[in-house]
Amino acid sequence: MKRWQLALALAGFVMSLLVPLVVTSDYQLQVLFRIYLFAALGLAWNLVGGYAGQLSLGHAAYFGAGAYGLALFTRLGFPMWAVLALLVLLAMLFALLIGGVSFRLRGPYFALATIAFAEVVHAAAKNLPSVTGGDVGVQVPALFHSNVNRSFYLCAVILTAITTVVTVLISRSRFGYYLMAIREDQDTALAVGVNASRVKLYSLLLSAAFTALAGALYGSLFLFIVPDQVLSIDISNEIAIVAMLGGAGTLTGPMVGAVVLESASEIFKSVFQEAHLLIYGLLLIVVVLFLPEGIVGSAEGMLRRRKK
Amino acid sequence: MDFYTSLQAVVNGLLTGGLYALVGMGMALIFGVMRIVNFAHGAFMMLGMYAAYVLFTHGHLIPYVSFPIVALLMYAVGHLTYMGLLRPIHGQSDFMQILLTLGIGLALTDGIQLVFGADYHQINFPLLSRNFHLGTHLTVSAPWVVSFGIALVVGAGLYFFVMHTMIGRAARAIAQNRNAAPLMGIHLHRVQAFWFGLGVAAAAVAGALLLPVFYLYPGVGDQFTLKAFVMVVLGGMESIVGAAMAGLLLGVVENLTSLYWGNEWALAVDFVIFILVLSLRPSGIFGRQKA
Repeated sequence: MKRWQLALALAGFVMSLLVPLVVTSDYQLQVLFRIYLFAALGLAWNLVGGYAGQLSLGHAAYFGAGAYGLALFTRLGFPMWAVLALLVLLAMLFALLIGGVSFRLRGPYFALATIAFAEVVHAAAKNLPSVTGGDVGVQVPALFHSNVNRSFYLCAVILTAITTVVTVLISRSRFGYYLMAIREDQDTALAVGVNASRVKLYSLLLSAAFTALAGALYGSLFLFIVPDQVLSIDISNEIAIVAMLGGAGTLTGPMVGAVVLESASEIFKSVFQEAHLLIYGLLLIVVVLFLPEGIVGSAEGMLRRRKK
Repeated sequence: MDFYTSLQAVVNGLLTGGLYALVGMGMALIFGVMRIVNFAHGAFMMLGMYAAYVLFTHGHLIPYVSFPIVALLMYAVGHLTYMGLLRPIHGQSDFMQILLTLGIGLALTDGIQLVFGADYHQINFPLLSRNFHLGTHLTVSAPWVVSFGIALVVGAGLYFFVMHTMIGRAARAIAQNRNAAPLMGIHLHRVQAFWFGLGVAAAAVAGALLLPVFYLYPGVGDQFTLKAFVMVVLGGMESIVGAAMAGLLLGVVENLTSLYWGNEWALAVDFVIFILVLSLRPSGIFGRQKA
C-alpha cells in the first residue's frame, strides 16, 4: 500500500470517529450506523465472495448466530467477553458445517447450498420456541446504556476499520493469493498445490466471525429480535449486494456499496414507504449489465485504460 | 396418529406435489437443460398468480379458464426477459446470472407490492367449497383435484413438446453439448429464449392453478424458487420427468412433515434433503449416475 493511501485511510477513520461531534440527530446517526455496519458486513462477505469468488447467499446464518448468540449466551449468565467469544464460535461452527458440505460443490450449487443451510437455521429458530423464543422473538441485552446511538455508531466504525485492516493484510498475504488463485481458476490452483477446500474454509470462518459480530451489534440496537428480521434471506441478499455493488474483490468496494445502497434505500423508503427492495433489485440489474465489476472495480478499470 | 390420517396427508401431498411438479418442470427446462441459473423463478410464478387474479377480478375468468392466457402473457415476459437481460450476459459466469436473476426477482416482487400493496388476497367461486369423498375416510377438495388434473395435462404436453418436436430436440442438443449445438445449425439464443419463455410460462400456469387454493401476496413465490432448484437437482438436472417426480415427492414429504412435526418444519425438511442429495448423490435421486 502506498503511503498516501495509508494516510487517506487513517484520515477517513479519524474523521468517522469525530462525526458524532457534528451529527447529533438520532435518525442520522442510525443511518450512518447502518452504512458502517453493512460496510463491515460487505467486507466480511468479500473475503469469501470477492477474493475467493465463492458466491455465498447464506450469510444470514452467521448474522443471526451473532444476534441470537448475544441474546442466548447472556441469558445463560456468561460474562460479556465470553458471550462475544461464544457467539463468534457459534457462527464459526455454522461456517464449518456449511463449508464442509458445500465447498465441494461449485458454481450455482454452492450458492444454493448456502441458501438452503441458512433457511434450515431460519426454520430452526422459528420452531424451537424453548431455545429461541420462536416467532415471538427474544430479548437482546443492551450493549450500551448511555449515548446509545453514538456508541453503536462508533462500534460500527471500529468494526469496519478492523475488517478493513484484516482485508488489507489478507489481500497481501500468501493466503490471499491462494484465495484469488481459486477464484481465477480452481483447477489450476489445485494443480499447483493449493489446498482449495481448506483455504476456502478458512476464509469462510473468518468471514462468519465478523458477520456474527455485526449481527450482535445489530440485534442489540433493536433490543428485541425475531427470526424473520435477522435470519431472513433478505439479510443474506443485502450483504452480498453491498459487496457486489461496490465491487467484489476490491478493498473500498464494500464501503462504496454500503454508502450507495443504504442512501438509495433511505431515499426510496421516504418516497414509497414500502417496497424498498425494488431499489436493490434494480441496482443489481444495472450492476450486472453495465458495471459487472461493481462501482469501484469498473472505475479502476476505466482509469487503467485511460493511463494507457 | 392413525393410518388414515397419514394416508390423507399422502393424498394431499400428491395433489400439492402435482403443482410443484409443474414449477419444477419449468425450472428443469431453464436450469437443467439450458443451464440458466434462474433465481427469479418463484417471482415469475407469483406474477402468473397476479395475472390470474387480475383476470378474475376484472375479466370474471376463473383460473381454470384463464390459465392459457396467463401462459401466453408470461411466455412473452419470459422471452423478453431472456432477450433483453439474459442474452447480453451470455457466456459470463454463473455468478452474474445468479445476481441478475436475483435482481429481477426482487424487482418483480417489490414492483408488484408497489402496485397491489402487501395485502393478502383470495378469490372465491362456487367450486371452491366442494369436496369429494373417497371411501369413508378420505376427502379431497375439488379445486385441488381440478388444479392437479390441469397440471397433469399441461405437464404431459410439455413433456411431449420437449421429446417430439424439432425445437425440443434442439434444446436437448444444447443440453448435451452447448458448444457443438450451434455448429449443427441450432440458433442458440432463439432456442434458449423459447424454452426460457416456456419454463416461465409453466411456473406461471402453476401459479394460476394455485390461486384458488392459496393466499396471494407479493412474497408468495419466494419459497418456490429454492424449491424448484431442489426439484431439479433431485430429479437429476436434465430430466423434466425427474423434476416432476421430485415435485410429487416434495409434496408428500412436506405434508407428512407438517402432519407430524408442524407446518414450519416442512420447508426445512426440503432443504435438508437437498443438502444431503447435493453432498451424497449429486446426480439426483431420479438421475442416472454419471462416471
